[in-house]
Amino acid sequence: MNSSSTAKTILFWMFIVLLGVVLWRMVAANGRSARKDSSGAQTASRIPDLSGNWTVKAGNTSWDPANPSGSKPEELPLTPWGLERLRAAKPPFGANETFQPNDPVQKYCDPPGPFRMYSYPWQFTIVQTPKQVYLLFEYLHVWRIVQMNQPHPKDVDVTWLGDSVGHYEGDTLVIDTIGFNDKTWLDMVGHPHSQELHAIERFRRVDHDTLELEATFEDPKAYTHSFTSKRNFKLSAFPMGETMCSLSEDQEFQKSIMDRTVSSGPAK
Amino acid sequence: MRTKFLLTLAAVAALFAASPAFAHHGTAGYEMDKVVTITGTVTKVDWSNPHVIFHIDGHLDSKVGGDIQHWSMEVSPPLLMSRFGWNKDSLKPGDQVVAETHPAKNGAPVGISGTASFLLKFTVNGTPLPHLP
Repeated sequence: MNSSSTAKTILFWMFIVLLGVVLWRMVAANGRSARKDSSGAQTASRIPDLSGNWTVKAGNTSWDPANPSGSKPEELPLTPWGLERLRAAKPPFGANETFQPNDPVQKYCDPPGPFRMYSYPWQFTIVQTPKQVYLLFEYLHVWRIVQMNQPHPKDVDVTWLGDSVGHYEGDTLVIDTIGFNDKTWLDMVGHPHSQELHAIERFRRVDHDTLELEATFEDPKAYTHSFTSKRNFKLSAFPMGETMCSLSEDQEFQKSIMDRTVSSGPAK
Repeated sequence: MRTKFLLTLAAVAALFAASPAFAHHGTAGYEMDKVVTITGTVTKVDWSNPHVIFHIDGHLDSKVGGDIQHWSMEVSPPLLMSRFGWNKDSLKPGDQVVAETHPAKNGAPVGISGTASFLLKFTVNGTPLPHLP
């Protein structure tokens, strides 16, 4: 064999080896990709599907688990501060309902606060993305954002809706919220909360048409111990719509209806 | 189409059945155990939040020949009324109406005819509108 043939032979085998290396790397890369896709698909399947428009089941005006109608508002484990705030409230519903409320939502169109939102006869929907979950409410077009799989910031501001972080536990979306201002009521019957409120919401789709919310409230300034209450929401066939709070419309309603019903005698 | 609508209305009724009145305010100002009927003419419709209001000039409980009273009746907000099958033209000024309402406790010609949990009967120009018992 002359040197030219030898060189050709060497080159041939170098090519074969190189081709083998390239092919091996291709196969290895596909394997890693397949494993990644497989694990991604498994992750996606672990996220429960909470989609749909959920409608509030009427009658739950209070978060008191023993008395959701609010006929015994002082039954919750209130501190002296909490009791004073409850007694100062003149709510539109419950045992102390009045047609001359000092309800900040009725008087000023203030945001109702996230937990009172669940008492209104309007729908909400949950939009799930990998990094955030959004709760969109028909009433006042309020929306809440839940940052997923991360802790609360170190210096949380106090806001109407608080700071929410969340994660999944099996079939349950868990939302942890702190950083509330104290300008809202916890519910329709005037139960108070302070800036120390720490709330945990657990959403679970019980069946295709039923969404269960288990809410735990911890607020040492307003309540002597934490309490937990459940609500169910039904899947709705209606699209999301609009309900706004307009001071000008509220003032017209006040004049046409409310003022006339509280006057001392028949209005003409 | 009508069957689907009635089934949807039944589902809405089931959701809100046997529950307290449910609105942006309560019913403390009304006689909820009493229903009166106003027969007359629609003069104005406020199809807006927080509650739709129908203004009706008419007679109380068909007492024709008596004084005309100027009634204002509130029902649910527009979005909820639309889910009950009503719209902004269900009652129009000039329509002849027979309307049920829970009257105000103070005797004012004001009433509540519907919330999220009920909707009393309205008959407009001889045609009944959807109601929620």
